[in-house]
Amino acid sequence: MLEARGLVKSYRAPGGAPIRVLDGVDLAVPRGRLALVLGASGSGKSTLLNVVGLLEDAEGGDVIVGGERVSALGRSAQGRARGRYIGFVFQSFLLLPSLTALDNVLLAARYARRAGLDARRRARELLAEFGVLERQAHYPPQLSGGEQQRVAFCRAVLNDPPVLLADEPTGNLDDANGRVILEALRARARAGAAVVVVSHRADAVAAADAVYHMREGRLEPGPSTSGGGPS
Amino acid sequence: MTGVGRIGREYGFTIVGIAIGVAGIVALGAMGERIVRFIEGGDRFVLGQISVAGRGMGMGAGFTAGGMLPASALRAIAAVPGVAGVQAQVMLPLNPSTSQFMTLTQELVLGLDLSVPTPNRQYPTLPVHEGRDLRRGDRGVAVVGASFAASHGVRVGSALVLEDERYEVVGVLERTLTAPDRFVIVPIEDARRQWIAKDRLLRTVIASGAAAVNAADLNTGAAVGWGDGEDPDIVARRIAERVKDVNVQIPSELSRLLRSSTAFFSALLGGLGVLAFVIGGLSLANTVAAAVFERIRDFGVKRALGATDWQLGREVLGEALAVTLSGGAVGVALAVLLGTGVDRWAARSGQQLFLFSGRLLGGSLVFSLLLGAAAATYATLRVVRLSPAEAIRRGA
Repeated sequence: MLEARGLVKSYRAPGGAPIRVLDGVDLAVPRGRLALVLGASGSGKSTLLNVVGLLEDAEGGDVIVGGERVSALGRSAQGRARGRYIGFVFQSFLLLPSLTALDNVLLAARYARRAGLDARRRARELLAEFGVLERQAHYPPQLSGGEQQRVAFCRAVLNDPPVLLADEPTGNLDDANGRVILEALRARARAGAAVVVVSHRADAVAAADAVYHMREGRLEPGPSTSGGGPS
Repeated sequence: MTGVGRIGREYGFTIVGIAIGVAGIVALGAMGERIVRFIEGGDRFVLGQISVAGRGMGMGAGFTAGGMLPASALRAIAAVPGVAGVQAQVMLPLNPSTSQFMTLTQELVLGLDLSVPTPNRQYPTLPVHEGRDLRRGDRGVAVVGASFAASHGVRVGSALVLEDERYEVVGVLERTLTAPDRFVIVPIEDARRQWIAKDRLLRTVIASGAAAVNAADLNTGAAVGWGDGEDPDIVARRIAERVKDVNVQIPSELSRLLRSSTAFFSALLGGLGVLAFVIGGLSLANTVAAAVFERIRDFGVKRALGATDWQLGREVLGEALAVTLSGGAVGVALAVLLGTGVDRWAARSGQQLFLFSGRLLGGSLVFSLLLGAAAATYATLRVVRLSPAEAIRRGA
């Protein structure tokens, strides 16, 4: 479902030489699988997620979603592809502080042109499923970290995207809330999505079908897990 | 999600910032409009008639600043080809003390010969706000300007004592923001009596019998009209050539003179206006652009959720226009509120400092909107050029 081929990406520090963060990275995550990417801080895990999620361009390589080479699309088409194919869960939640929890969830439908009664009903169902329906009219600053991440997860899956990308989704959560989110990600994979998670949590390994390590700009297969091995 | 409440929550401070900038522009503009109206009103007046005065230096003779204009001169003027009407006038300072004499705020007594129509083409009649205008045959009555009425606390039915004579106020003029706001207009016969009462030299001359002066000769000037199709400047020059011992104001020359004498105010106003627009405009543009840049992370998130450049640009621009319009409207309201308050206080001394004209208010709003749109467009172009990841990083 999600495939990355030969991704190359460098950053240039001000006045310094370019630092190659992705150096020919390949990744393939089929439907129904959860891939976990581990690595030291600054190893390029988040950059990999940004590139496969079309949040930034690579200097080389391709990103293919559902057989479509989305990395070759123009800016607007990439925007539409993000709305159609990809859901994001961020470490710092990235909810819009001026919108209520419900409106934050509905934002995903708005840009995918799916706004309407169905989207509203679905958003409420998701909020109920994650135990935050009573908080639907609250603003992000009025929610706990766990509640914010659950709302952010609802936003990520509202459109049932075939690809779900999670960047340290449990990084700002306690164990209990972290387990809720990891289980939800696992459930999305079981429901048929291709899920890529960047995490430090040990229990994340157990939830993964495949584990990878980012080292020196390359993605190396990690040990096999109970959920399956590297693809 | 795009309700007024959300705009208020997200951009409350921005709206306040814009409002203060716009209020500054509008308040300064309103002061400018007030002075412009005064200058333009004077210009329209002098272009509407030929003003003729007797040759000499009749101190205290108001804007005509001439000597006595006898009845024989009036008849001679009326006989000049092209002249369509002559109205004898007496113009006197209400208070001939040096403190008020010939200043912009001078209060004047204007005596009009009501037996002939006023020949001024721009002001055939002055607009009466309350009561009535003077009528032929009136005696002992007065129509007063709006500022005079306010500062002296008089209204229709009030009594006014001028040179120990009692006058009944029968009308109050509409506020014109020009010189007539400070006029006391009376029948010419009454004005002549006041002139004699004020002017000891004139009393002495009349009493001595040294000069053959009768009541009809006591005029400080005349308003002269011209026939349809006539060039007023040519008619004025013709009067100067054919009638002896008169000072004739050429309308276009007087207009130029008036404009050059008020050139300092015009330049000052122009400078103030430019300064207000530059400072207020920069403040507004900076506020709008900063408001967009402040939300750069939100825009990154929206793009991550699938917003295209076009959707985002339209959204940001729409919000910026709504915010600018709100800030502009609040700023205009604030300026009008403050200006009205100040004017209410100033009205006690017959002053008005602000004129909130439609063109000023509309122009300020349009200016704010255009500038807000330009600033938002600039900021939006900068924002959408960034990748969603970069926007999120920068806004973190």
